[in-house]
Amino acid sequence: MRGRMRPGLVAVLLVGACGTAAGPTPDALTGDAALLVAGASDLRPAFEEIGELFTAETGHEVIFDFGSSGQLAQRIIEGAPVDVYASANVSFIDEVLESGVGDPETKATYAFGRITLWSMAAAWRGWSDLADLVSDPDITFLAIANPEHAPYGVAAKEALLSVGLWEIIEPKLVFGENISDTQRLADTGDADAAIVALSLAIAAGERGDWLLIDEALHEPLEQALVVVTDDPGRVEVATAFAAFVNQPAGREVMVRFGFVLPGENSGTG
Amino acid sequence: MWDPLWLSLQVTACATLIVAVTGVSLGYLLARRDFPGRGLVDAIASAPIVMPPTVLGYYLLVAVGRNSPIGRVWEAVFGSPLVFSWQGAVLAASVASFPFCLRSSRAAIESIDRRYESAGRVMGLKPWRVTAQITLPLARRGILAGVGLAFARALGDFGTTVMVAGNIPGRTQTMPIAVYDAVQAFDYDRAGSLAIVLLAVAVLVLVAVRRLERTVV
Repeated sequence: MRGRMRPGLVAVLLVGACGTAAGPTPDALTGDAALLVAGASDLRPAFEEIGELFTAETGHEVIFDFGSSGQLAQRIIEGAPVDVYASANVSFIDEVLESGVGDPETKATYAFGRITLWSMAAAWRGWSDLADLVSDPDITFLAIANPEHAPYGVAAKEALLSVGLWEIIEPKLVFGENISDTQRLADTGDADAAIVALSLAIAAGERGDWLLIDEALHEPLEQALVVVTDDPGRVEVATAFAAFVNQPAGREVMVRFGFVLPGENSGTG
Repeated sequence: MWDPLWLSLQVTACATLIVAVTGVSLGYLLARRDFPGRGLVDAIASAPIVMPPTVLGYYLLVAVGRNSPIGRVWEAVFGSPLVFSWQGAVLAASVASFPFCLRSSRAAIESIDRRYESAGRVMGLKPWRVTAQITLPLARRGILAGVGLAFARALGDFGTTVMVAGNIPGRTQTMPIAVYDAVQAFDYDRAGSLAIVLLAVAVLVLVAVRRLERTVV
């Protein structure tokens, strides 16, 4: 008899646990959860701060889904319940709008991104430019973001192409899924160096050393955002967040993480 | 820390429940009934074991996405999309873990001596009672092992879930996805603690299943 009771108990536990999913907790499962912002990975340090400032000012909670701009755009087009989409390249914003998602009126450029050559402080070998890095015989792997879907990867590829080093370094390249994944590859010491967003190099602080790459070597990383929610109840808060990024409080944070703001000159590092 | 764990347990419980019912049913059909296309059904049902999880997730996303017929029906009925929701995570975990329950219960049912079932029928039991009172109880250890495996597989799923349900903190960010996200944020401490909790839960469940197998004689 005892033996028969136990599988019954398992079933009761499973049904019970599953049943709670339909209940009110976690709040995630209800419709009126926090504002969901899908952001390019280079934004993680800056946007987390901006999110806190926004919550303090408006009382609305913000949660983030960071990834490569291309993958996020794909998910949004497939119907991910995102409220605001902040891309590292304006072309993905256009792609989302073309698919019929998002409000074109809310499309706004909020920053221009810069790329850096980054490595862990202990692994830094004093490279003075990209050519110096490429000719370094001790480099086994250089990490860049996947140029197929990550704007910072595209910029890294363009920079390497501009200085004529792409073909030489190509066999040593490893691709990160997005720009923070790219930094992780060098952060764990598996790649000797990485070409990452300036914002992430700044956020990593003392952990790494870096060299700013000349912005003339790549197309501008024009970073734009757009409100994508179609829920009338959420549009207002989403629009407020989108605007907040471009307001003084938001801009102060963006500048601190090395972003060049629209209408301002490049700080060149 | 506890949000992803709680979500993971809920999603895994739902998936295990679905898989236990569907996996054992199909396992029974494959073991005890002959029907056209049986071999094909068997192969297709086991495909998730050999398919890379992300590939599986991608095709699931295509199959139940907002523009697919299934996705449209779902949205019309429930008012919100199936993809990028916790229900989507349940679907992903169910499909990924289904074959483990199926194969184990099928093997368990196949190994039962058919004479016990014949005896039941000779004694005048209706077919459903033969199944419910003779076949399934005799196969219970294998079935339980399969359900346990399915639970473990569902709890650990990353690739399929992240494709179908995305990575939304508090909504679809299950434990494995939270570990990945923490690593992406260079928060190795959080990644480590999440991983230890996940491992502890998985070990606990497997030990419990092992004990159940032994006590259910």
